[in-house]
Amino acid sequence: MFLKDHRELEALRSGLMTGPAPTRRLWVCGGPGCLASGAAQIQAALASEIKKQGLNSQIDFRADLTGCLGLCEKGPLVGVEPEGFLLEKVSLADCQELVSKTLGQGRPIERLLSGHQPIKNHPFYQPQIRQITRRFGQINPESLLDYLKTGGYQALGLALSALSPDQVCQMVERSGLRGRGGGGFPAGRKWSSCRLAPGTVKYVLANGDEGDPGAFMNRSLMEGDPLAIIEGMTLGAYAVGANKGFIYVRHEYPLSVERLNRAIEAAEKMGLLGKGILGSSFSFNLEIVLGGGAFVCGESTALMASIEGREGQPRVKYVRSTQRGLWEAPTLLQNVETWANVPLIVEHGHEWFKSQGTSANPGTKVFCLVGQVKRSGLVEMPLGTTIGSLVFEVGGGSPPGRSFKAVQIGGPSGGCLPESALDLPLDFDNLSSAGAIMGSGGLIVMDNLSCMVDVARYFTGFLMGESCGKCSPCREGLTLIYRILEGLCQGQGRPGDTLELKKLASLLSKTALCGLGQSAANPLLSTLRYFEEEYLEHENERFCRSGRCQGLFWPKIDPDLCSGCGLCQEACPAKVIFGEKKQARQIDLANCLSCGACLAVCPFGAAQAVRQDS
Amino acid sequence: MDHTLPKVTGTIDGHEFEVCHGTTLLEAAKTLGIKIPTLCHHPGLPPDGNCRLCLVETGDKLLASCAFPIRASGGVYLTHSPLVFEARAFVLKLLLSRAPNNKELLKLAEEYGAQADPRLSDDPDGCLRCARCVRACQAAGSQAIALIGRGRGRKVAGPFFEPPLDCVGCLACARSCPTGLIACGEEPRVIWGRQFDLVKCPQCGRTVGTPEELKRAGITSWLCPDCRRREYSQALKNLPEASFVRN
Ligand SMILES: Cc1cc2nc3c(=O)[nH]c(=O)nc-3n(C[C@H](O)[C@H](O)[C@H](O)COP(=O)(O)O)c2cc1C
Ligand code: SF4
Ligand code: FES
Repeated sequence: MFLKDHRELEALRSGLMTGPAPTRRLWVCGGPGCLASGAAQIQAALASEIKKQGLNSQIDFRADLTGCLGLCEKGPLVGVEPEGFLLEKVSLADCQELVSKTLGQGRPIERLLSGHQPIKNHPFYQPQIRQITRRFGQINPESLLDYLKTGGYQALGLALSALSPDQVCQMVERSGLRGRGGGGFPAGRKWSSCRLAPGTVKYVLANGDEGDPGAFMNRSLMEGDPLAIIEGMTLGAYAVGANKGFIYVRHEYPLSVERLNRAIEAAEKMGLLGKGILGSSFSFNLEIVLGGGAFVCGESTALMASIEGREGQPRVKYVRSTQRGLWEAPTLLQNVETWANVPLIVEHGHEWFKSQGTSANPGTKVFCLVGQVKRSGLVEMPLGTTIGSLVFEVGGGSPPGRSFKAVQIGGPSGGCLPESALDLPLDFDNLSSAGAIMGSGGLIVMDNLSCMVDVARYFTGFLMGESCGKCSPCREGLTLIYRILEGLCQGQGRPGDTLELKKLASLLSKTALCGLGQSAANPLLSTLRYFEEEYLEHENERFCRSGRCQGLFWPKIDPDLCSGCGLCQEACPAKVIFGEKKQARQIDLANCLSCGACLAVCPFGAAQAVRQDS
Repeated sequence: MDHTLPKVTGTIDGHEFEVCHGTTLLEAAKTLGIKIPTLCHHPGLPPDGNCRLCLVETGDKLLASCAFPIRASGGVYLTHSPLVFEARAFVLKLLLSRAPNNKELLKLAEEYGAQADPRLSDDPDGCLRCARCVRACQAAGSQAIALIGRGRGRKVAGPFFEPPLDCVGCLACARSCPTGLIACGEEPRVIWGRQFDLVKCPQCGRTVGTPEELKRAGITSWLCPDCRRREYSQALKNLPEASFVRN
């Protein structure tokens, strides 16, 4: 069906609204706990059952999309949307009934219903404000009709029938929307600058490169609601006067590419992309470009070089890309999540948008909460939420026997913030003054077993591997920093290393050519700022208080805390832990490897790291 | 320099300058006689800003002066502040580990009190990765060599580290290399593991270049530039008087 104008679009929508609710879907939790209890088999059984019963439905296997609700002991978990049932301890024998009764008729299986009903009341979801993620798992992301049914393309219909490009630009500017891809640059300023830039050929680009290791918020958006990105880009193109757009997707995301491609095709068929959209004189075409597979390709100039077919390498940037970007034409680049906010703003108005978040940081942000917390996964919260409420309310705090130490925010070039920062509002400005960055919204929670020197070494190592090698500070300097950190972690620190690291880190940030090098010292700078004593202990005492750096501590079991469970005894690779059942364990240090395996498994915090000379 | 462009003004180390819009900070400093050390910069090649030696302070930021076009008046630039000094010493220390015997680098290192760090002493291959050779190759019209690989493993080479098929043997890369590291020979013409024929001027016998090089430049006559000029003026001389009348 080809929509000739805005009225036809609305007629179609109101027809759909009176029809049945969006297609019912099942999801299977693919978190580590559920996998261990057989989630993959359940998923396969459900899929073949669906086929057998001739139903047309796919199953979301949320290997990492929902992360983990912290209900591992109740796994495998199966969810039913849009009803929001959560079923627990699902067995293979339940699958047939699950498909016929629950998926087919929307009735739950009483005996499997978990205590958390509906799932949105679960403590993981309850504090969240789901705007960007509202359609995730609720609709078939490849169905344009599902998208329309849930309010999709209302914004574009409105813009093309009643708003001038300038008005759309103004709305985004007044909304105060800031870029979600890292820097938090005001989107409206880029839009106006690109709109006013001279030139008849202009481009809009979406950054879906998501190079942060372990991050999946952009992926889940491209897979869960691809049309929101497409609608946002169409609005952006209309506003700035572009007729061509590219979505740059990390090539490790084949499902994102597939879903985006299907969504583009569907939109083209309906006349929502292509020539004369909805009967207007505005034309817009979209194409997917596969990423070059390097972290630095997410950087704006490298990304454009890569789309142009050149090596994805940053350029010295003293002219804004909104003036001269892709193929030297004015170009508007935003992160995919930034784009997905645009339809919301145009549809509901900038005042509505500003009702979430803080005045300088309006709206919500999708975070990826992982690490040493009880519950983990994709979380959407208003900007300005405190770090503490994310870690403790949503995430449920540190696992048993451990204590919170730090939260690493913003991807590899983010920073580690200590306990004193738990009251800090999560927004672009507060994070950067505290020495971290928003990045794309990754949060890794760390506890007393995470060594801050080792954490800095790890991230520096990642960035060293991703440095493109163009400019000397990043190419050579990151290697030098890494080697010093590695020395500290191996007990080969030299006097003055900590001070030297401070100097090198600050110089690297000031001298590197592109954002990668300029921010590459953040992990180091932030850990030095908040955890300098750990550096000094490594340097001067060859001591790692976290029991992480092998050889820089001895494990010791506190008999008052030890319950005698024997977990450490099982975990010890050197078999040097001994003791009777239900009695406090002891360690034969003479043969201990100082590997820390006992510390990692003890649920009571009884195994602790002490100085080797004590 | 295009003199129809508007002028911009500012100060460098307290001295006022006035240059055309878009002039680089490095050139502006030169008009004041202020010297800024450079390595990757070459006046005949597009700026790349990769070595970071020419950094200059403005506000509390550092700019690569070789690549920074001045587009607004009122800028206050410092080329020899303590921060600039420290930054250059940092860059020199890092580059020195790659080219510990480079005379120019050693001289600069002495001036800035920079020393190589023993922890970076592996692989001192002498190359600064300034990409002047790669840019010279591109500017001459080929893309025979490139910087291949990432991070510290980055190296100048032909595709797949083999003798580059697109090389025309013009030696532009070797001549623009600040370290003289690219092994080559004029006659016989060898570079990047390849040997090239040489074209001799049919009149004076001088070497004009390689056939591939002339073809790239679209030159069909094999005369050397001098003999070509002579032949051209001879032809002019033989033209009838009327051809020179202006209308
Ligand atoms: C090394 C580096 C990597 C980056 N990676 C990404 C990325 O993966 N995704 C992204 O959206 N932005 C990334 N950025 C930021 C982009 O350069 C750019 O600022 C952003 O896409 C602009 O969109 P926004 O304003 O909507 O955030 C990266 C920047 C740097 C310096
Ligand atoms: S800072 Fe690093 S990634 Fe950026 S240009 Fe320099 S070497 Fe390349
Ligand atoms: S001379 Fe300017 S960066 Fe190298």
